[in-house]
Amino acid sequence: MSSRALPRLLQAPAVVLLLAWMLVPLGMTLFFSFIRYVLNNLRRPEWTTPSIENWRGFGNYEYVLYKAKDFWLAAQNSLIIVGSIIFVTVILGLAIAVLINRTFPGRGIVRVLLISPFFVMPAVNAVLWINMILDPVLGLNGLAVEGLNAMAASLRDVPLLGHFFSLWPEIEPVSFRATQTAALAVIIMVSWQWTPFAVLIFMTSLQSEDQQQKEAAILDGVGAWAQFRYLTIPHLARPIAIVVMIQAIFHLSLYAEIEIVSRGNGNKNLPYLIGEFASNNIGAASATGILAVIMANIVAIFLLRIVGKSLMD
Amino acid sequence: MSAVGQSTKFSTVFLPVLAWLVALVFFFPIFWMVLTSFKTDADAVKPEFLFMFTPTLENYMNMTDNYDYWRFAVNSVITTVFATVFTLFVGVPSAYAMAFNPGRHTKDILMWMLSTKMLPAAAVLYPMTFLTKNFLNLFDTHFLIILVLSLINLPIVIWMLFTYFKEIPKEIIEAAKMDGVSVWAEIKDIVLPLAWGGLASTALLCFIFCWNEAYWTVRLTTTDAATLSKLIEGNRAPEGLFFGRLSAVSTAAVGPIVVLGWFCQKQLVRGLTFGAVK
Repeated sequence: MSSRALPRLLQAPAVVLLLAWMLVPLGMTLFFSFIRYVLNNLRRPEWTTPSIENWRGFGNYEYVLYKAKDFWLAAQNSLIIVGSIIFVTVILGLAIAVLINRTFPGRGIVRVLLISPFFVMPAVNAVLWINMILDPVLGLNGLAVEGLNAMAASLRDVPLLGHFFSLWPEIEPVSFRATQTAALAVIIMVSWQWTPFAVLIFMTSLQSEDQQQKEAAILDGVGAWAQFRYLTIPHLARPIAIVVMIQAIFHLSLYAEIEIVSRGNGNKNLPYLIGEFASNNIGAASATGILAVIMANIVAIFLLRIVGKSLMD
Repeated sequence: MSAVGQSTKFSTVFLPVLAWLVALVFFFPIFWMVLTSFKTDADAVKPEFLFMFTPTLENYMNMTDNYDYWRFAVNSVITTVFATVFTLFVGVPSAYAMAFNPGRHTKDILMWMLSTKMLPAAAVLYPMTFLTKNFLNLFDTHFLIILVLSLINLPIVIWMLFTYFKEIPKEIIEAAKMDGVSVWAEIKDIVLPLAWGGLASTALLCFIFCWNEAYWTVRLTTTDAATLSKLIEGNRAPEGLFFGRLSAVSTAAVGPIVVLGWFCQKQLVRGLTFGAVK
């Protein structure tokens, strides 16, 4: 066997499997996105079987983009959710990574406690947060608000000052299952899960920071903020870019949390919308799917370029 | 020097305390879930029993009656273990070939493999359901879930292994080649022992990802191959009646994985950033 053939043979199973995984379902989605294909239609039963004769061209895309108003809502929601999660996790991640990048008693335990949320399965994360923490009546959210109200009420009986406290209104707990707030609940729970990821990566990267440079800066009397701004942030530029892009890719396909929090009521993202279309209109679901793939690929190209640079060195 | 004196006090007392507070806040939801799992369903929603309550194990004892927990847990274990083994089985030779015999296209192949990871799952959900239900007759089988879990984790596993294998000095491999050692012996006797730590952490990470997967395991199963993700998702809205038992089943579902995760947090960075942050 030649020296070239064997490596190829060893790679073959992985390549073939991934090629099939990518091409077959995606090819089918692409095909379905150009034909009329619905699961139930009594008047046009011929549309219920996928066939080239039901060719619709870009009709499904037109329908999704211009007629079904949910697409833009879902796309906008996807971007708001992904953007907010990235913003929160990067800021918190940077702050916490800098905070624990020093020796102090119990640092190992602090690390273990901090990383734990990342390993909680998404379904448990969502069920735990929406029911036991954010629920406006039975969750900690409701209990805390009730406690605050009770405290304010008891303060009203204090002489003199009581007049001041009687001006306080009763606080209403926020219901996170409502249309306007469901996205917020998703942002909170996913940020809780992914901040540890950002912390972990920033911390790893901080440990390779040039200490001599830092010491020189301290000797020159450079303040802590200036050190952070002009030494640490540039050093972390690449890890930040990676955290942003990996999260963008993962969260663009967020599903379990959306489903569990609100079953998508007014809080759809693209994957959820695809699921909704797929209950009947496969053509529209596939067109939306292709649009989601394009969106994810725009992010992926940038990520791959960064990863590729560091690959061979 | 007073500035230095101040900053030492600030950084030796205040900052560590703050770090501990932040860690406790982040861990609190998990702590809360574990604590609630020892309360009865009735106590779990009463403010007067927030922290003071009579602990009970009944939620754990009744997990089988309440949720049929073990059926789902066994499915999770079967699919996760076999998917991890299969992924390594396919991934090790591939990563070996790319690390020690890189060709002109090795980099492109690696990048392409990674790009398959970035395909939004929802986009191919219907074709997957369609194929497995109508043609392959695989819907809701362990085999299907094992296959899908393997496929979605294969790129990460190959990437991680590739970065570990690349750290093995090439001279060792070349010396073995000169001695006429077969490829199989080379992998078995040289590469795997030297990259043992990397292999173990890759396997662990793959295991965790398979266990936590919540899209395909939910959408491609109904009962026979349903995993713990499906079980929890099915109880998404207990309306406050079952906080105790729901916490117990959730704790049982995530507990082992969180503990496993503690042991591989360092390797996690490499696995999640595809070797770009070391």
